[in-house]
Amino acid sequence: MADHPKTDLVPYLRGELAPADRARVARHLEGCPECREDAAALHGLIETLGRSVPPPPAIHWGRWRAELTARRDARRGRHAWWWRPVPLALSASLAGALLVLVVLGGPGTPTGNDLAVVEQTLLGRRLELLRQLSVVERLELLEDLDIIRQLDRLAAASEG
Amino acid sequence: MENSDEALCRRVAERDEAAFDLLVERYRERAWRLAWSILRDAEAARDVSQDAFIRLYEAAGSFAGRARFSTWFYRLLVNRCLDHRRRNRWWRLWARDEGEAPGGETLLERQPAPAYDPGDALSREQAVSALWAAVDRLPPRQRAVVTLQAQEELSTAEIADVLKCSQATVRVHLHRALKTLRRTLEKR
Repeated sequence: MADHPKTDLVPYLRGELAPADRARVARHLEGCPECREDAAALHGLIETLGRSVPPPPAIHWGRWRAELTARRDARRGRHAWWWRPVPLALSASLAGALLVLVVLGGPGTPTGNDLAVVEQTLLGRRLELLRQLSVVERLELLEDLDIIRQLDRLAAASEG
Repeated sequence: MENSDEALCRRVAERDEAAFDLLVERYRERAWRLAWSILRDAEAARDVSQDAFIRLYEAAGSFAGRARFSTWFYRLLVNRCLDHRRRNRWWRLWARDEGEAPGGETLLERQPAPAYDPGDALSREQAVSALWAAVDRLPPRQRAVVTLQAQEELSTAEIADVLKCSQATVRVHLHRALKTLRRTLEKR
């Protein structure tokens, strides 16, 4: 008989197969003495294994627990330098700065953001001048007077 | 406060020491028993069982809650056992050369076996010892499958979840393992 359900026998014996598969294996077992023998042997083996699991050696739980705590603390200590919040924040900042440099191509190449900042600064200065417009106007008048005073000297120089 | 394993694991992820202690209390014996069954070395089983709890403490945040906590924890533990066996493979091969026959039998096992009498309790005991000695000689994953099935009584689906493989693979491992064990018993 072809297609013996060899790997299905244990799940069949443990009642783990879906109804259709279970019916298929049951039908096969009815007509296949070889698989019936296999199933009986496997059943006995599984029963024996389940009944005879060797107990593990006795253990001193207090010592085991103390060792576990010590090992866990040692690992926490080993990680402590990078788990502390300050170095972590510093590392994150450095990583962020590096990322910005890499992504934006470094400080040598101004980007749209950089130009906007420069523009805003210049605008700020102009605003400051506008606030003191009367002073600026007087300064310009003084400059004009100075030029008028020097006109003769300038004309003589050009003729000479 | 909810004290299911899954809830405790979520609390461990928030560094709740009391929750961790409770999980250790609940699972330490199972961890020790399973690690010892797979490794058959008390020193290694102690290390690996502790290691699994350390990993639990560190990785509790990655427990998504899709599987049961026990399945997730068994996975941590069994993976550590299998890793340990892989790391120590060469050492074990060397040790076997020193004290064992090429077939993996110890000097004691190479002695002629007494005639098997089903009515004889001593013989039965010896047969069971030989059976578990044969379990010890199975390839690591087959041994893990047999142990999880016979000792922890996990279903095929749960074993597949622990070993992160398909149920079909578990069935093949189990079939091969039981075939080997059966041959061992028949030889006696």
